[in-house]
Amino acid sequence: MGVINRTAKKRYFKASLIKSFDKLRTNGNLLGSAALSPFVVRLSNHLCRNRYERKQQANRFLKKPECNSLHALTAAALVLPGLMQPILVNATEDDSVDFQYSHYQEGKRDIYQGVYFSDLTAGISGINGSHKQSYNNPIEVDSVHGSGRFSLTDRIKFSFNYLQDTWSGATPVGTAPALLSANGSYSPEIVNSGASPYGSPSIPTVYIDNKGNMYGVKNSFIDGSNTIGAQSNQITHVMSYASPETRKQGDFSLSYDWDEAAVNVGGGISVENDYESRFVNLGGRMDFNQKQTTVNVGVSYTNSDTFAKLDPDSLNFISTEGYDEQYFDDTDGSYKGYRPIAGAPGQIESDYTSLSDGGNFRSSAILHGKRQDWGTQLGLTQVLTSESTMELGFGYTRSTGYLANPYKLVYFLSGTLNVGDDPNAPILYNTGGGARLEKRPEERNQFNWNLGYNHYLPFFDAALHFDYRFSHDDWGINAHTFEADWVQPLGTGWTATPRIRYYSQSGADFYTPFVKTLAVNDPATGEKVNSPYTREAPEFYSSDQRLSGFGALSGGVTIAKQFGKGVSLETGFEYYTHQGNLKIGGGGEQAFADYDYWVANAALKLNLEAAGAPGSSTGHISHHQHSNSPAGVMFDHALEKSGDFMVGYRYMRSEQAGNMLLGSHSISPDNTRNNGCGDQACAVAPKSMVMNMHMLDLMVAPTDWFSLMLMPQWMDMNMDMTPLSGFVSQTGHNHGGSTHNHQTGGIGDTGLYALFKLFDQPNQHLTLSLGGTAPTGDVDIKLRTTSSITNKVKNVPLHYGMQLGSGTWDFKPSLTYTGEADSFIWGAQATGTKRLESRNSAGFAFGDSFQGSVWGGYQWTNWLTTTVRGIYATQGSIRGEYPAVYYANRKPPQEFKLIHVGPFDKTNNYGGKFWDLGLGVNINIPHGTFAGNSLKFEWLQPVHTDYNGYQLDRDYTFNFTWSYGF
Amino acid sequence: MALSKPFISLSFCLTLLCLVACATVQPWERGNLAKPQMALDPYPLQSALRAHNYGSREVAAGSNAAQGGGCGCY
Repeated sequence: MGVINRTAKKRYFKASLIKSFDKLRTNGNLLGSAALSPFVVRLSNHLCRNRYERKQQANRFLKKPECNSLHALTAAALVLPGLMQPILVNATEDDSVDFQYSHYQEGKRDIYQGVYFSDLTAGISGINGSHKQSYNNPIEVDSVHGSGRFSLTDRIKFSFNYLQDTWSGATPVGTAPALLSANGSYSPEIVNSGASPYGSPSIPTVYIDNKGNMYGVKNSFIDGSNTIGAQSNQITHVMSYASPETRKQGDFSLSYDWDEAAVNVGGGISVENDYESRFVNLGGRMDFNQKQTTVNVGVSYTNSDTFAKLDPDSLNFISTEGYDEQYFDDTDGSYKGYRPIAGAPGQIESDYTSLSDGGNFRSSAILHGKRQDWGTQLGLTQVLTSESTMELGFGYTRSTGYLANPYKLVYFLSGTLNVGDDPNAPILYNTGGGARLEKRPEERNQFNWNLGYNHYLPFFDAALHFDYRFSHDDWGINAHTFEADWVQPLGTGWTATPRIRYYSQSGADFYTPFVKTLAVNDPATGEKVNSPYTREAPEFYSSDQRLSGFGALSGGVTIAKQFGKGVSLETGFEYYTHQGNLKIGGGGEQAFADYDYWVANAALKLNLEAAGAPGSSTGHISHHQHSNSPAGVMFDHALEKSGDFMVGYRYMRSEQAGNMLLGSHSISPDNTRNNGCGDQACAVAPKSMVMNMHMLDLMVAPTDWFSLMLMPQWMDMNMDMTPLSGFVSQTGHNHGGSTHNHQTGGIGDTGLYALFKLFDQPNQHLTLSLGGTAPTGDVDIKLRTTSSITNKVKNVPLHYGMQLGSGTWDFKPSLTYTGEADSFIWGAQATGTKRLESRNSAGFAFGDSFQGSVWGGYQWTNWLTTTVRGIYATQGSIRGEYPAVYYANRKPPQEFKLIHVGPFDKTNNYGGKFWDLGLGVNINIPHGTFAGNSLKFEWLQPVHTDYNGYQLDRDYTFNFTWSYGF
Repeated sequence: MALSKPFISLSFCLTLLCLVACATVQPWERGNLAKPQMALDPYPLQSALRAHNYGSREVAAGSNAAQGGGCGCY
């Protein structure tokens, strides 16, 4: 920019600075990662005494150099990054609220099966070579992320994040030679697709020579002798499909700023079905040298528990060796079961089922593990020139405890060589004992270094960011990451950012696709002897592809648009490919482990200060944007005038629990079992059902009398089921007895509505809403179904009520009357849902519904209103049904009857008539830090329920809304 | 560890070079540095998401362990 000379130039300079300063404040996150990394950085706020002064500073900074924007800019330029990658970051400097949705989709993976061979005349069958197949149902993940950041005082800021992931699909549980046919065997005559649910080899033996070449085993059913079949050195992932699961994380951060320093403390928790993690962090920042140099330090601690239920269907086919051992009674020698080994990295808690002959077998096992992580980080940010900055960082993380993945298996192949036999001939190996749970060291020390360089290119008005990271740990993994992006502003608020990234890692010392052991025996004595050919089992072993050597190349683009009024939208797409041969220096894992994914995301960011700042060009906050109706009432108002904009978040949670009802009467478990599932006996009944809905409410007014509303939504559901007495466990959808649980989550149906002001007087309003929902939510989510290998079936659809959408285009009209006088408010609404299709793509349609409600309320002060509401609702039962499921390999086709059914699998057990009483509190914040925000809460208590058929009683519904109008 | 030592040395050299040799960049010369495209992380929301994806697919990311983020056991 050079030296400032005279007034005219000064003015120009000032204007451009103010502009960039404003932008900076909106985008100040750069520095960010405060929520996650322990560093908190504030750009400029601490330079002035209070927020008002900060707002005004642009006008005054030439006169008052002690509090000028330039100074603020310097600070901004210096802000520190976390050394490590920021996670769940939201460190926008201004008060802000952000929402983000993303979808992760893996590509299909190749799997390999042994080719089944049978020659009835010769009396030989076995495996002869391998066959490649594409495995369906790859992993997909839907994530929702919401965050907020608020100034509690001028120097204290509070921020929080909420994140929810739901994933489902097939993932590798281990790696094995294709000839073992752990994904099932292939035969040209029999269509036999899909993976074995057990991870158990269909053919437990293979010939391997001392060069590692592998051959199929052909077995004579005349004399039992083995002969060597065709060679195939192909190895393959062994896949297993998992029903959907959800993870939820919440965290917060609190920071305090001095003029040239800051401290920050944060913490959070992440919860899954089988894993829980709690973390705290502490960070500090110091500026030096007129903020040309900034140093930050941080420390974090994480404590995690694993409590993973080992797949009950696989339990008899996997080995828990290294974690526990079988033991016998000291006195009578009878079999007692499994007991943990002292000092094992994880402890397995087993349950047994008695057999009729007096014995027992292990029917359930839960692996418990504890883990701790300590992390420290040190970072430096330096302004190099007026166009470049640099970052340096160092991090150290120490992890101890159970560091393995409880769902990963390692195949052990053991062979025997007799002294005197030809060691070069193929030797028969077998997988006796089953694949073992992986075992990793109980300690890991990891070091990271990073170097970042950012350069501004005046000709393009663009910025180039380059980042290099090196990571080293004592598991033998060295990894390099190179990342570059180019941030190109395109004018009128648009920015395009192409990005490329390359990653390469060497494998862990104990990574192995599978383990091969060889015992050398003296045939005379049958004893083991020492020999150069002997191969012992390693102490640690894992076949997790993440620990293998590989390279990954990814690239993508981010498009951002900044609108007026502090609203911006971002959307991004990235494609990622993982390949063994991309590893630096070669030597990565073979191509069987290659896979790819893409991820797309969209984010809405609201800068509350830019949106509603007093004196800003957008004017004052309008209090009339908010209705005073109870939280559960939607579509009750249009925006006040053309050009108005409103953003809201709506949350609804409803729970069912208690007794099973038939109509409105409680019934016994026996009644449910005998009559609740039509022509079958019910195996389970729901014990509790929780549904959470998160909705974004985006409203804009093209004219004074009409508003448009867009409402994307996300759902997640969780149902616990109990077995009904008298139910005997059978093959089919087997959960290993006892209570179990189903989860789903992801994007729901998307609503689009037009709201018209039919009648609009100061104290009385009549609003008509016309619109509906598009079927963006899934209706074909499947549960993993396991049956025996010979009775293979496809995965069956999940209960109707746990699908995420309706699957049909739905028309949802609504008519609302509201009024107010003195401190009283009142209103009434009629709303309905008409399915515009008789069947969705999954074969069914939910019933139409109608809801009427009437409410009244009293406004106690200018910010507090309480409401009472009465609601009547009715919904029809489901029309149509899922198509029948057939066995995969039976001729003629044979229908698969799911044995493990509950009342929720029958279409006539949906819908009913409902009466509820709602009590609500509305809070509108007229001034202060949170001015312009409106919060509403409403609790709905069921008064009377009259179900169609057999359903679980209702417990409550809770509604919460937050909205912000400007 | 082979590469880490030269890397550390390089880092230190660069740091020293900057601290000692770089001319002071005056606050009013930092206008370009304050532009949003020069933010150290222009898209923190997306960065968080990408870091989470990498962290569950690559073993070196490490940041998950230090900052929570769950098992990522898929």
